[in-house]
Amino acid sequence: MIQRFTSFLQTREMRKLRSNKAAMIALVAIATYVLLAVAIMCGAITRDACDTVVGANKLPGFFAKGSPEQRYEIATAKILKMTQTALTQDDPAEALKEIKLGQIRISDQPVENIQAIVDAANRIKDELNKSDDLDADPAMLPKLIELEATVAQLHAPMNGWDRTRHNASLLLGTDIQGRSILLRGLYSVKIAIQIGLVTATFSVILGALLGAAAGYFGGWVDHVVVWIYTTFSSIPNLVLLVVIAYAFTGFDLEERLLAIFGVPADSPSSLRGTIGKLFGGLDVKNSLLPVYLAFGATFWIGTCRVIRGETLKLKEMEYIHAARTAGFSSFHILLRHIIPNTAHLILINFSLLLIGAIKSEVILSFLGLGVKGQPSWGIMIRDAGNNGDVVSGFFWEIGTATVLMFVLVLAFNILSDALQDAFDPKHV
Amino acid sequence: MSQSESHHASNPPTTDKALVKVTNLVKHFPKRGGIFNQVIAKVHAVNDVSFEIRKGETLGVVGESGCGKSTLGKAIIRLHDPTSGSVIFDGVDITHLSRAQLRPIRRQMQMIFQDPNSSLNPRMTVEAALREVIRLHKIVSETEMRSYIDSLLTKVGLRIDDRGKYPHEFSGGQKQRVGIARALAVKPQFIIADEPVSALDVSIQAQVLNLLMDLKNELQLTLLFVSHDLKVIDHFCDRMLVMYLGNVVEEMPCQDIHATAKHPYTKALLASNPITDPDQRGELVVLEGEVPSPYSPPAGCPFVTRCPIATDRCQTENPPLEDHGDGHRVACWEV
Repeated sequence: MIQRFTSFLQTREMRKLRSNKAAMIALVAIATYVLLAVAIMCGAITRDACDTVVGANKLPGFFAKGSPEQRYEIATAKILKMTQTALTQDDPAEALKEIKLGQIRISDQPVENIQAIVDAANRIKDELNKSDDLDADPAMLPKLIELEATVAQLHAPMNGWDRTRHNASLLLGTDIQGRSILLRGLYSVKIAIQIGLVTATFSVILGALLGAAAGYFGGWVDHVVVWIYTTFSSIPNLVLLVVIAYAFTGFDLEERLLAIFGVPADSPSSLRGTIGKLFGGLDVKNSLLPVYLAFGATFWIGTCRVIRGETLKLKEMEYIHAARTAGFSSFHILLRHIIPNTAHLILINFSLLLIGAIKSEVILSFLGLGVKGQPSWGIMIRDAGNNGDVVSGFFWEIGTATVLMFVLVLAFNILSDALQDAFDPKHV
Repeated sequence: MSQSESHHASNPPTTDKALVKVTNLVKHFPKRGGIFNQVIAKVHAVNDVSFEIRKGETLGVVGESGCGKSTLGKAIIRLHDPTSGSVIFDGVDITHLSRAQLRPIRRQMQMIFQDPNSSLNPRMTVEAALREVIRLHKIVSETEMRSYIDSLLTKVGLRIDDRGKYPHEFSGGQKQRVGIARALAVKPQFIIADEPVSALDVSIQAQVLNLLMDLKNELQLTLLFVSHDLKVIDHFCDRMLVMYLGNVVEEMPCQDIHATAKHPYTKALLASNPITDPDQRGELVVLEGEVPSPYSPPAGCPFVTRCPIATDRCQTENPPLEDHGDGHRVACWEV
């Protein structure tokens, strides 16, 4: 096996691929993304971490201070308000302990001290509020610094790992809800790679099998396959994706299954629980299943067409005739002689489909039809655009999403170009 | 053309030693077109051909490109399903057998292909390609597999350590040897060699031909040898068929063919071969014109459009293959 792999690396095509520097850099980039995705799948960044509010709204990246107006907003926004609310509760001490903003906790002081700090902060706030335009009033700057220092007294000191984690999650700032842009952007890598891999694998397998069968058997098999793919490809791709994705919004698979099995809605909870466990965690609404389905239905067409054409050529090769005269079954000939000889096309199509799926996922999510309940670059771009933040200079969210996506798509484009050059030089 | 319509007295003299008997074999390729994808024309690739091959004999099939000689070979081995007629192999009519029924027969008949560059799967090592066929037909057990493959490679003049190589690591002649080894792997009785040397270098041609000849004698093979090269056929075969536009125009033993050939087409083929001795050069027959389209062959004799001795009769009536003694049959009104 290892020997076969090393001899594969020594083939002319692989030598050509390996001598392509850009492709090798792209490969390293892709490997990084994939490793990151695997790490996230193993729990390096949880979905909860992406939804946790870690700081004030729209913090700029790299701990930039921003304009005085922004600094005022940031200082007074989350912690001060939360602390004030907690102080009005029946048991302020308990309520204060509950406050959690990412890694930030309220410092472990008596309630009276906290109350004093909040009052002090409010006094400075009132003074600051007298100014019409903070940005244009340099005299207010010392007051602003005082406010920031006062609010900071509310924080329990962080150290070690907590501190690193908190700083890291604020590295690229926060979004409109105060969630970490870095964490959300990185988590989207996993979503993108996951959708890309699943869709590309499924499409390539389906397309290769159908295409090879259509090309090899000809006749009615060919007619059926060609009819299906011409029908599918006559529907505008994105429209079909939108329709399928839309059909799934509000679809609750578990409820449907319960209905199919005839379990009444008011049946004992243990019965419902068992059935629920049987299809454990099939939360279709928030899963990626609709996306997979929508992509799976359309993405195999290109591969199918290419493999069918190649099979039409290959089946007239004499080694296929030789296999037929030897008496091999059609199935054997397809699997052992035809499909392996389309491997180069399958490889190229796989990498093209992967980019296609990632880009389509972002578009669908941007339209609000793709990924739900978890971060995605599409959702990040939409969130950033919706609030006019980009225009007012808050580029961190859209920037993170687009840069991460740009690097991945560019790397894959370079790689599939290189693959095409190396394995399919006749292709224009 | 159905068998009953055939006016040819084409049943060759039957001997009980016949291994392959081909009777009135017809292969048409339909050409489809038009809005309903209907058959709009037919290529008459093989037209009502009958002959037999005796056990241990080598029969040559010669003709220019497009005359249907390869199609004939492929129809016999059922790579093409014949339009009509029958092929009897070792007493069994294999014309209408299913794939599964054919499998044991395919062990007995194998094919060597023309183009060594496309006759081997580029993604399979020699060993994998051979093992696949041996395993399918259970020729030897798994334990003997290795030594059997080694003996096959030695037999066709390859080295034992060529076993793990991929086709692209071989020269054309070596690839053809692998192709021969693959055909021999199932220990067949009958081999169809479809222009086995025409894609090879002249110096390699002789080596491969000699190999085939040795193997034929050693393993007592029966061969159908398809070629466009009369010299090769003359050198290699016991008898030969000359084909023109899907029809057999002459069938003769390969002895002194220059003197005994009777059909004007065979004569023209012989004349086109350069002869090194100036004294032996006969009159040069140069054929005029082109081979007619196989979509619309002439009504009478297929050769009529280019025949130097054609008469009015040839325009309308297709001459049958007539016996001229000594297994020599000619399809011509004028000889």
